[in-house]
Amino acid sequence: MSFVEDPGHLSKSRLKSDLVAHKVELPPAGSKKEAYVALHLRHVDQTNAANFSSDEDDQELGVAGGDPGSAEELDPSALTDNDLKALLFKYGVKAGPILASTRAVYENKLRKLLQSAGEGESNEAENAVLYSDSDEEDVREENEDEEKELEGAQEKKAEALEPNQQQSDEMESWSAPSACSYSMPEHWSRSSRLDNDAEDKDIIVDQADTPKDSTCVKEIKDPGRDILKDLLADTKASPTGIYATPRRPIKGAALRPVQYAYPDTPVSPTTLERQEVQRRLVPVYVQVLVFFAVACILFLIFVNVEDTNSVVDLLESLSQGPDGDDERLDAASGEL
Amino acid sequence: MSTTSQKHRNFVSEPMADKPVMALAGIGDRLGHSLTEQGYDKAYVVLGQFLLLRKDTELFCYWLKDVTAANRKQADDCAQCLKDWCDAFL
Repeated sequence: MSFVEDPGHLSKSRLKSDLVAHKVELPPAGSKKEAYVALHLRHVDQTNAANFSSDEDDQELGVAGGDPGSAEELDPSALTDNDLKALLFKYGVKAGPILASTRAVYENKLRKLLQSAGEGESNEAENAVLYSDSDEEDVREENEDEEKELEGAQEKKAEALEPNQQQSDEMESWSAPSACSYSMPEHWSRSSRLDNDAEDKDIIVDQADTPKDSTCVKEIKDPGRDILKDLLADTKASPTGIYATPRRPIKGAALRPVQYAYPDTPVSPTTLERQEVQRRLVPVYVQVLVFFAVACILFLIFVNVEDTNSVVDLLESLSQGPDGDDERLDAASGEL
Repeated sequence: MSTTSQKHRNFVSEPMADKPVMALAGIGDRLGHSLTEQGYDKAYVVLGQFLLLRKDTELFCYWLKDVTAANRKQADDCAQCLKDWCDAFL
């Protein structure tokens, strides 16, 4: 409940950074925590009290982990370590220990996230229009899966039916006002997809076509002003922590086949080893079989060449032990 | 693959031991002095900071630009150097 910080519960480093943030002179280095607490109470809480009257509701919301949009008014430097960590976690950022040296970094990060969240909220509804054009991952799952598929279906359908420059130019012209770098990888990836996945696309188009024809047109009609904001906001606004950079080629969205930039199967080293061993096992079996076959042949030859007496001697001497072997060998060679 | 500098390759090729902070890729004389003044006189101290930030290159870049007058490229180079070193030795 307390967005009201209880300085006694804060760590010393936290108190120190708080005081620095509020431009209060730090007590001498060897001071006890109480000195920091006292200073904190005096200075920091004063400023907080001044803010409380106007921002109370917002701050309470922030504490309750409420709407990220309203948290824009939160001052990251006024948060406790734990609150800062929790807020970052809500944005998908797993924060390490928040110490004097790392605190500034995390506050910066939180500010950036709050800003982009503020921008992202207003454009959330129209994000789908762009994401289906450009995104390779399902970054936004909430409302946009359907819309994305619609958008993508329209694109793919257009491509499959008229796999020529016209459509891609059209697509590019939509996104042209936003970012040149954005449209280029699209084009590139589109052509590469055309080369590689002609078969799959037909299937995809068939699947995508059926339910979504009519609504497709609606979705695409309004790219205009939102594309720019969405595109530029995309790179940072990723609450799940998954970043969708525009430079990557279009892959894997909705029904599209996924092309990895890396080898097809992400293989771990242990899997590789196992595969290699398996390959080697085949010849090993062959070697073992050959060995036994040769042993049998030799035994048969030996048995057939020798007289039955020597065979009996052989069998007896085998049970006698190593000394018996020598005698047997002499006997066998003598008899030969 | 991005191209790496000779400094990067030198650093990542062996355990850093007691190398000075200027052995890090992206850290030259100016930045090196700046870091040394703040107490980050050896590469392993900067490594410590990198690890505290959970080996996140983006956060490390924020930190480096905050603490020194590093530009984006220098910070990126340093972060990438440390990350590669960690991948190899940690």
